[in-house]
Amino acid sequence: MNSVSSRTPRFVRIGALLGVAFLALPIVGLLKRVAWSTLCRQLTDVATRDAMRISLYASVCATVLALVLGLPLAWCLARMQFSGRRFVRALVLLPMVLPPVVGGVALLGAYGKSNGLLGGLLNSLFGIQLTYSLWGVIIAETFVALPFLVLSLEGGLRSIDVKYEESAAVMGATSFTRFMRVTLPLLKPSLVAGLMLAWARALGEFGATITFAGNIQGRTQTAPLAVYTMLESNPEGAYALSFLLVAISVGLLVGLRDRWIGGSSQ
Amino acid sequence: MWSSTDGVYSLTVTILAKAKSLVVVLPIFICSLAAPVHAERIEVKKSTITVSAAASLVNVYTEIGKQFEKANPSIQVRFNFASSSSLVSQIQSGAPTDVFAAADLTSFDKLLATGNVVKSPKVFARNSMQLVVKPGNPLGITTVADLSKSSVISLCAKTAPCGIYAATVLSRYGVVIAESKITRGIDATATLNAVSTGDADAAIVYATDAVSAKKSVATISIPAGKNVKAMYGIGVIRGSKNSKQAETFVSYVLSPAGQKVLNTFGFLAP
Repeated sequence: MNSVSSRTPRFVRIGALLGVAFLALPIVGLLKRVAWSTLCRQLTDVATRDAMRISLYASVCATVLALVLGLPLAWCLARMQFSGRRFVRALVLLPMVLPPVVGGVALLGAYGKSNGLLGGLLNSLFGIQLTYSLWGVIIAETFVALPFLVLSLEGGLRSIDVKYEESAAVMGATSFTRFMRVTLPLLKPSLVAGLMLAWARALGEFGATITFAGNIQGRTQTAPLAVYTMLESNPEGAYALSFLLVAISVGLLVGLRDRWIGGSSQ
Repeated sequence: MWSSTDGVYSLTVTILAKAKSLVVVLPIFICSLAAPVHAERIEVKKSTITVSAAASLVNVYTEIGKQFEKANPSIQVRFNFASSSSLVSQIQSGAPTDVFAAADLTSFDKLLATGNVVKSPKVFARNSMQLVVKPGNPLGITTVADLSKSSVISLCAKTAPCGIYAATVLSRYGVVIAESKITRGIDATATLNAVSTGDADAAIVYATDAVSAKKSVATISIPAGKNVKAMYGIGVIRGSKNSKQAETFVSYVLSPAGQKVLNTFGFLAP
């Protein structure tokens, strides 16, 4: 450790310190604004509780949906050679780089009841309306979270040596057994990391949700939406909820500590 | 050990690095940034004022700004549109602002209390509220009392002036709408968009908003007896570095030329 730090130039260390301060200061600023004495009361307020309930439920559902859609997609991207592969890869990446509000507008164009390509059909045939519903929140969150899961799984699948699966096949394992007993255990680290990244992205989603699913308290108002809405009417509540979201994020990092924090020694 | 999170990163980097489109897009982007700079160099040195204005003023103020700049070539106007209540918080927390135009007068009371303005605002326009529904009015809504028929109603945030006005109208009709049916737009524009581009059934918005979105929504007027008189106030923010130019803008809005533009966009004279 000592030999490394003596080799690191001073300006690099100063730059790194500035970087740390830049990242830490907003968190300190937020913590300073939290009214600790009323924290419990603020967090048990109806609007806050509703928002947390919707956020947790929708983000977990979105992560599961992302897994159902994302695993086959990652599999094909990692293991198959097909003509439109680069196009599919770009499509998968798009929600990652797209401004979320634009994603919300695009979702309206697809699943909106009045103007959507598919939404009108869904409504006239089955009476299903996705906008302004909990399903709308889940869809918006899945849309932005899916790329994180696909990329993580694709990377994981690429790193698995095919010979393990091949030898399992030689020994007579069916494709399902092969997947469950060989591929899945090898894939587990990337799967866990991907699920956590996707879940965190879903939990933090704002732009696509407010555009596609609206901002209905108790129905579609997620925690980030509630923070934004309360910032004017009830700042104390907004800070309390922000603190809770920071705490959840820190919890997530603790969960991922082996992968990110201190995992660089190799 | 090959970490999968590294995988995500390196994959992203590789793919982005390969994005040849950047080579095409970047020069266009740079050109679009560079063009106005060249234009400015030829002209005299301009001073820029920042006008923070209520979201319901977005169309009319953009037009007024254009005409004002033509009439006063040495002043450039930069707009910051949001709900009046958001703008009050922004100004109180030190956002650089020269002129504030709000959809009510109570916003100025808050700024007077914190010393961000020194004078009472000048009323420059009046507005009222209107009901908007989907084109063709599929739910057959004819009055505010019919709002109970709709499943999603778009209203402004409770603290924004348009949210307060809407609450007043609803209470005058004695209509109570469950919070579980209300989607809250962050400002007047977002509230209207929920009906014009989204799937909300109805919204209570400014009469002028309804005018600007006439193709994508159907309007139902609210009789004067149950409607509100929304008074729009304008004033110069204390500590403005361009207070002279800011005063010039305020006078322009109150002048016949400014009032004419306001009138074309459906605003009533103060």
